[in-house]
Amino acid sequence: MSITPIKAFTEHDTTSLTDDKKEQKYVHDVYQAIAPHFSQTRYKPWPVVEQFLNSLDIGSIGADIGCGNGKYLGINKNIYMVGSDRSSKLIEISVSRGHEGIICDALNLPFRSECFDFVISIAVIHHFTTFERRLAAIKELFRIARPGSYILIYVWALEQSNEARRKFDKEQQDVFVPWVIPADKNNQDKKEIIYNRYYHLFKKGELDELIESTGIAQIVKTDYDKDNWYVIARKEGSENEIDKKCCDC
Amino acid sequence: MRLVVHNMLQCHVKGCDSNNFPLRLFDVELEIHEIEFNPQFLQSLLPKLDWNAFISTANQIGITSLPQALPEEIDEDFLKNLHRILFETHIMQGKMVCSNCSHEYPIKEGIPNMLLNEEEAEEEAEVEAEVETEAEED
Ligand SMILES: C[S@@+](CC[C@H](N)C(=O)[O-])C[C@H]1O[C@@H](n2cnc3c(N)ncnc32)[C@H](O)[C@@H]1O
Ligand SMILES: [Zn+2]
Repeated sequence: MSITPIKAFTEHDTTSLTDDKKEQKYVHDVYQAIAPHFSQTRYKPWPVVEQFLNSLDIGSIGADIGCGNGKYLGINKNIYMVGSDRSSKLIEISVSRGHEGIICDALNLPFRSECFDFVISIAVIHHFTTFERRLAAIKELFRIARPGSYILIYVWALEQSNEARRKFDKEQQDVFVPWVIPADKNNQDKKEIIYNRYYHLFKKGELDELIESTGIAQIVKTDYDKDNWYVIARKEGSENEIDKKCCDC
Repeated sequence: MRLVVHNMLQCHVKGCDSNNFPLRLFDVELEIHEIEFNPQFLQSLLPKLDWNAFISTANQIGITSLPQALPEEIDEDFLKNLHRILFETHIMQGKMVCSNCSHEYPIKEGIPNMLLNEEEAEEEAEVEAEVETEAEED
C-alpha cells in the first residue's frame, strides 16, 4: 500500500485567504465531503477518553465539542452528553445513532456559561490555523464548564511515530494531512480522491502553555498517547463556592 | 433535541448577552422515543436544571403537568413524568427564537442549527481534492 505523505501547509497558495476561510476550505468543507467514509473508520474509543468518561459521577451533564460521529457520546450510560460539531453531515450520523447533536462552531458555543459538569474536545483544537484561534477555542471550552469541573483535550503531536510523518520535515507544524478515499474497484469512474486537511501539530508543552495562559484552569494531568498530546485540566473555583459564601456572611 | 439540552442553550449572537436564555420555541413537532428510566441518574441531574426556564419552555409546547417550583419531596411518579418530558420528548422540527435580539435558530430532523449566518458554509462549496490519475505502488 502506498503512503500519502504529509505536506507543508505553505506549499499551497493559502496566503490570500483569511484564517476562517482557510479553515472553511481545508477543514470544514473536507469533513463535510468525507463524513461517511471518515465515520466508518471512527468507532474505537481511545482508552484514556473512555476511562475519563467512566470516572464521572452519575447524573453528570457534559459536552463533546467537535464530536464527529459521536463515538464517545454513548460510552457511559449514567451521564448525559451533548455532542456538537460544525459538520452537519457528521452530526446527522451521530444523531441517527440516538445521540444528542448540535451544529455549531467551537469558537462560539451556544451554551450557557458554567452549565456543564465536564467537557471533552478530542482532536479538534489542532484544526485552528492561528495561536489566537486555538486559545479562543480553549477559552470557550472553559467558559461552559462549571467551576471545579474537568476538561479533557486531545491534539495531534508533532512528535509522531507513524510512517507518513517520518517521511516528512520534522519541524513543520502547519501541515496538510491527506485523507484518501480509495478508488472503487467495481466502478472505473470512481478514482482515488485525496483531500487535504489542515492540521497544526502541537509540540511538547504547547497545549499546556495554551491552557495555562487562560489563567482559569489548572493542569491535572498531561501526557502523550497515540501520537497525540492530551491534558486533563480542572477549572478553577469550587463547586461549593455558593455554600461557602453563605457560611461567611 | 430533548428539552434537557434546550435548557443548556442560549443565544450567542455577538453582543446579545442579556435576556438571551431560554430561547423560545415555535412551530414545534414532537416525538416520543422511550428509553430506560433511571431514577438515581435523574435525581442527581435535577439540581443542574434551570427549573424556571424548563417550566416556561414546557408550557410553551403545551406540557403543563409540572409544578411551578421544584417540589421538596420527590417521589417516583414525579421522576417518571420528568423522565418522559426531559429525556423521551424530542423536538423534531421547529425553531428557537431569542427574546432579546429575535435571532432564529432552526431545528430540522431533531437537530438544531446554531451556526450564525457569517459562519455558515456556502452551499455546495467546492472542495479542493486531488484525483489520482495513476495508482502508485510503494
Ligand atoms: C479528527 S475529527 C475528531 C472527531 C471526534 N472528536 C473523534 O474523536 O472521533 C475533528 C472534528 O472536529 C470538527 N471541527 C473542526 N473544526 C471545528 C470547529 N471550528 N467547530 C466545531 N467543530 C469543528 C470536525 O468537523 C471533525 O468532526
Ligand atoms: Zn439574541
